[in-house]
Order: sequence, then C-alpha cells, then structure tokens
Amino acid sequence: MLLNTVIIILREVLEAALLISILLAMSRRLRVDPRWLPLSLLLGGAVAVLVGTQMRGISELLDGVGQEVFDAFLQLAIYVLLLCVAVLMIRSYYSQNTVPGGIAAAMGAAVTLAVIREGSEIYLFLSAFSADPDLRPGVLSGAFIGAGIGFSIGALFYYFLLALPRRTTLAVACVLMTLVAAGMCIQAAQLLIQADWLPAQSSLWDTGNWLPEGSVSGQLLYALVGYEASPSPVEVGVYFSAALLMVALLFWARYRAEAGGRKGERDRAASTP
Amino acid sequence: MRSIRVFLLVALLSTITLVNFLAALHGYRESMAAAQQLLDRQLAATAALLEKLPLQQVQSELPADGEVALQLWGEDGQSLLKSANTPGRPMVPLEGGYRETNFGNYRWRVYTHFSPESGRWIQVAERADLRFQLAERVVLESILPTLLALPLAALLIWLVIGRGLSSLRELANALREKRAEDLEPLQVSEPPQELQPVIRSTNALLERLGASFERERRFSADAAHELRTPISAIQVHLHNLERELQDAGLADRSGSLGKLRLSVTRMVDLVEQMLTLFRTNPEHYPARLEPLDLQQLAREVIAERYELFSARQQSISLQGTAVGIRGDVFALTVMIGNLLSNAGKYTPERGEILVTTALSDSRGYIQVEDSGPGIPAQERSKIFERFYRVGGDCHASQAEGSGLGLSIVAHIARLHRAEIQLSDSRFDTGLCVRILFPASSGTVLPGEEHA
Amino acid sequence: MLERTACRRLVLLWMLAASVKAVAADRPIVELEIRNHLFHPAEILMPAHTKVKLIVYNRDPTPEEFESYELNREKVIMGGQRAIIFIGPLAPGEYPFFGEFNPNTAQGKIIVK
Repeated sequence: MLLNTVIIILREVLEAALLISILLAMSRRLRVDPRWLPLSLLLGGAVAVLVGTQMRGISELLDGVGQEVFDAFLQLAIYVLLLCVAVLMIRSYYSQNTVPGGIAAAMGAAVTLAVIREGSEIYLFLSAFSADPDLRPGVLSGAFIGAGIGFSIGALFYYFLLALPRRTTLAVACVLMTLVAAGMCIQAAQLLIQADWLPAQSSLWDTGNWLPEGSVSGQLLYALVGYEASPSPVEVGVYFSAALLMVALLFWARYRAEAGGRKGERDRAASTP
Repeated sequence: MRSIRVFLLVALLSTITLVNFLAALHGYRESMAAAQQLLDRQLAATAALLEKLPLQQVQSELPADGEVALQLWGEDGQSLLKSANTPGRPMVPLEGGYRETNFGNYRWRVYTHFSPESGRWIQVAERADLRFQLAERVVLESILPTLLALPLAALLIWLVIGRGLSSLRELANALREKRAEDLEPLQVSEPPQELQPVIRSTNALLERLGASFERERRFSADAAHELRTPISAIQVHLHNLERELQDAGLADRSGSLGKLRLSVTRMVDLVEQMLTLFRTNPEHYPARLEPLDLQQLAREVIAERYELFSARQQSISLQGTAVGIRGDVFALTVMIGNLLSNAGKYTPERGEILVTTALSDSRGYIQVEDSGPGIPAQERSKIFERFYRVGGDCHASQAEGSGLGLSIVAHIARLHRAEIQLSDSRFDTGLCVRILFPASSGTVLPGEEHA
Repeated sequence: MLERTACRRLVLLWMLAASVKAVAADRPIVELEIRNHLFHPAEILMPAHTKVKLIVYNRDPTPEEFESYELNREKVIMGGQRAIIFIGPLAPGEYPFFGEFNPNTAQGKIIVK
C-alpha cells in the first residue's frame, strides 16, 4: 500500500507545491504581502474536504461525468488565473513602483483552486483507508513519505527560484507558469476526453517505456510541464495552443507595459519645464 | 532571506527528507521484491512437498482454511485433489510458473508445476492481499525509523544552526547595546573566521569616527579658549574708549558704541557656551552624581535669574512636588539655566513661563513651558544640533542666541541618561521641554510635598 | 477578461458537440464490477478502433479509483456508485487497468481484438 499511497499523495502534493513555490517566490520578489498563502491554504483545504464529501453527488451530475467536468473546469480556471497573475506580474515589473492590488487575489485564488482539486482527492483516498487497520501503517507511512518528498521538492524549488539573479526571475517564472498552465490545460483536455466532451483519438507517441508516468521523475514532470506519456492529437493541440496563447498575452502585456512606461516618462519630461 | 536560521532549517531538512525518503522508497521496492521472491519460493516448496505425496487416483476435496488453495490435476485434465475454496476448473491455465488470478472473492498468486514422474499438474495458491500485507508489515518495520527520525533530525538541525549562528547573534547584540557615543572597539569573544573581517572593518570605522569627533571637539574648544583673551582685550579697550569719549565730551550720537558693546557681550556669551558645551560632553565631563532635589535646584536657578524675567514683565512660576534624583549639581544648574533663558528669550513681553517638577510613572522630571511661538513638530528633532536656530537667522522673535543652549541641555541630559521630550505647552502657543530622568533615580522626597 | 469569454465560448461549443454526438452514436457498452476490491471480470474483450462506453459499478462500500496509464484514464468511483468512462478507439493489444486505491488486488486488463 505504501508505494501506491506515495504515488497518489506525491502526485497531488507536488502539483500544488510547485505552483505555490513559483507564486510565493514571485510574491517575495514583487514585495506582495504573502498573507494570501495561509488564507488560500485554509480556504482550499476546507472546500476540498467539502468537495470530497460531496463527490458522490458531483459524479452523478451530467450523466455521470460530473467529476471529470468539475475537475476540468477547476483546471481551466487555474489556467485563466495563472494568465492573470503572469500579466499582472509583468505589468507591475515594468511599472516599478506600483504593485497591482489584484495580484495577491489572483495568486490566492489559483492556489485555492489547486488545493481544492488536489486536496479533495487526498481526502477521498485517506478517508477510504481510515477504517482499515491492516492497511493503516502502510497508508500513513506512504502519505508521510509522499507529502515529505512533495513539500521538500517545493521548498527547494522555491529557494532555487529566489537564488536566481533578480533580472532573470521574472522570465523564469513566466516560462514555468506557462508550462504549468499548459499542463493544467492538457489535464483538463484529458478529463474532457474521458467524459466524451472532446473527441478521443489514438495517441501520437508513447514514451511510457522510457519515462513511466508513475515514477517519481514522471510525477515531477507531470506536475511541472504536464508530462503525458501517450498524448492524443487533441491533447497536444490543446497543450500548445494554451502555451502559445499565454506566451502571446505575456508579450502583449510586456509591450503595453513598456509603451506605457515610455509614455509616462515622456509625460513627466514634458511637464517639467 | 528573512531569517538565516529558518532558511537553513527548511533547506537542510528538505534536502535530508528528499534524499532519505527517496532512499527509503527504493529500499521498500527492493525489499518488497525480495519478500515476494521469498514467498514465491515457499509456494514452490509446498508444491514440491505435494509432488512427493502418495495419492490414490480418487477425486477428493480438502477442507480449506481460506488462505491457501491447492489443486492436483491428472495429465488428462482430470481433477485429483482440490481444496474446497477452488473452482472446479484449474485456477489458471495449466502452464508452469507463477500467475495471478481471481476466484472465490479473492485475488490469488498461483504456482503451477508439472511433475513428470507422477504425471500430475500441481497448483498451489496463496491469497495475494495477505501475502502483500505480510511482506509490507516486515518491510515497514525497517522503513519506520527513517520516518520517525525526521522530527529528531529537525530538532538537531535547529539546535546546530542556532549554535553555528551564535557568534553572529553575539555580534548583533554587541552592536545593539552600543551607546551612540561609545566608540570603543567591538568585543566579540573568539569570533569565527567568517566574522573577523566584519569586526575588523567595524572597529576600524569606529576608530576613524572617534578620531574625527575628537579633532572636531578639540578644535572648537581650542578656538573658544583662544578667543577668550582677545575678547577680554576688546572689552577692556571698549571700556577705555567709552571713558575717553566721555572725557572728551563727545556723545555717542549714532549709538554705535552701545551696539558694539552688545555685540561684544554676545560674543562673550557664545564663547562661554562653547566652552560649556565642550566641558559638559558626556565623554569628558567628570560627573559627580549625588542625591539632590530637582525642585530645590529649579527654585535656586529661578531666583538667580528672576530679574531677567521681571525686566520683560514675564511671569514665571514653579509647580509640582519635590523630586529626588541623582545628578550633578553644576551640570543640572547649567541645564535648567539654559532651559529658562531659552524660554525667556522666545516668550514675548508679559508672557508666561511655567516650570514643573514631578514624577511620571515613578520617573522624575522637570519641565519648562513657555508662551512663545513654539516649534513646529517637524523641526523639533533638529533643535539639538549645534548652531541650529528655528527659522534660521531671520528668527521671528528677534531674540539673540548662540544656538548652543539646547545642545548643552542634550549633553547634560545624556550625562544623566535622561530623556528629552518636546511637545506643545499648555498655553495657546509655545513649547514644552520635559527632561525625564531614569526610573531608578526619581523619588518623591519624604515630607516635602509641595504646597 | 478576453481569454475568459473565449474559454466560455469554447466550452459552449463542446457542450453542443457533446449533445449532438450523444444523440447520433450509440456506443457499445461494456460493464465491469468492483467487488471486494476485485474487478469482475478481470479481463474484458473489446472491438478494435471503436469507442466504447465502459460502465463500472463499485459494489464495495469504499471508494475506488479506476486508473490506467495505458488508457490515460483515471476516475474516482464512490462506494456503491457507478461510473461511466469512455474508452477508445484503441489499436489491438492489451491495456492493463487497476484500482489505484487497492492496486494489489484490483487488477485487470482490456484485450482489444
């Protein structure tokens, strides 16, 4: 039981932990008050337990695919929120002095949704075994190991991001957020395929022998870039269009911010005699 | 980094957790595989035992305990022996080796073996879930210490980091406790290599700072001292000149002589103040702290200067209780004198000056309030700088002053470790200066409640 | 905000497409049961290159997660509930699946011919 508990817990914890460490590192860099983190963890945890207890009702919605659609929408919402966070980050980076007020809210909302998504699965899994005394030691140790590995990777990743030179942090964070966000979309696509909302196709390639999705490194890549051993054309398409949309928006935001900055400088120059 | 200690703890603990847990996971996998092999071998041994079992060619069924299952099949596919918990057909297809299958509500691991001597197929099976639980229980025993050791590791790391950072903490404390005027070199016992450059540079900086302070002080003191002699000479010559002019019957029509006398008096004042400032410097002044009554002292100083106030029709009053503090009589007399002359200078004619001595939270204080123009809050911090005068040279009150009076007050306050508080006076306008002495020194003298 | 409306439109499109398809095609249905943390049957036969509607009944009181890396499917099935999972079209071959909450016993495979 230990091994598969580790895999389940690690998968859920790692996704949330990496997202949190990226956002927290950016929040430190942009001097945004990190109070959003404990708030969103608490709120997300509470809602996750609520969702976990209501999973029975949720899965029966929409002809029995409610669970997939619910999760897919959570993922897509996280994608949109990450888009907002990245655009706001770029805006505040170029405007130097002002940090947009919405950025903490967007970060908090993204983490809340991620915690709801991952936390409800952990809750379901752990609640399934709380009754069985034979399996409990294995499940508990597995949960401890999985959470330990997940949080450790998250913490080290956070310090790694903070150790980057100040100028490159924004670029690295944007690239990472684009990958994570595209990963959210590929997961959403997969769920919608499973729900038959998107067409199912045979997979384009299979790297499962080379790097199994269930391994620790596979889990890490899954959490970071949405690694999928055998994706179908739709999934690949969704992944790249999500990434491209985000990249385009980021460049647009940067162009706007730089133009705005130049205009502001000109205005200031004009107003001083 | 908000805290080096937290950073080190989290980073080290994460690294240890990651490495240990991955190793534990690897160990778990290997041990589980080994345990499965061991159990498989047991299954094969059971099969070998069954192979040797003499058996009649009768179909029979064994009662089953639910955890093991077995079947014997003849070469022609006829059932020879089976445990009651197995289905009527072979558990798995009759091919040699290990396979897993479901029957009777459980998943089983089945070993199939063909015995050529007896021409029988032997199938022995164990419940997969029980096998797994057994193996896991054993393997977990070996992993648990790794997990349980983690909180211990966290505690040890926390303590070790604390020990490693102790000299840094010591340095921070030494810096924090340093008084502003204390320019002695930092003392940190056995500083580690990493801190030595910091301490060396800090001490070199302090030394340079001290030397330049000393130079500056000496220069102004020497200058003041050197100026005394020529000024005395000027005073004498001025006096003589006045006499000669009078004797010659020449009147001082333009009043220049009177103005000159005033200027010279002011210059004498200034030089004296500069010397006082130097003498009362806390680092040089040999203070003799003795118990004294602040109110008594204030009364004496007021009496001494009463004429100055009455000349400008200012009313001066003393309020409050007798306050016993430890202080230097000379220095405090100079201080109160300076406070009073400041108040007198800035208070217009017929203005009011109020002196209070009392206790506040068991700390003795003396406070001087005037009805002058007061000082805007944003300028209050600057008035203790030497030669600073509110509003610059074009002072509204036209009062003459050196700009040194309050610097001297600040020196003497520091000498007594007293605190200076500036606020608005109780009059419509004006300043309130309160000198708050440290707690241990302030007591109400018994039997001297002021009426 | 632009991207949000775009998303909403996409989703509407999907919903439309899904409802049209549901009416248009009757997919072959395969049923599977989870009892005592075992799959019954443990092996399912499926036609190749066809989309199949797999209905999994969980007869246990505890939840189970139907998971298959080969099929890219994962779905939590609460105790006593049934779940619908669409699978395929698949190339001929064997596709193992397992119950992620009880992977030692809940094992099975889909054989596509």
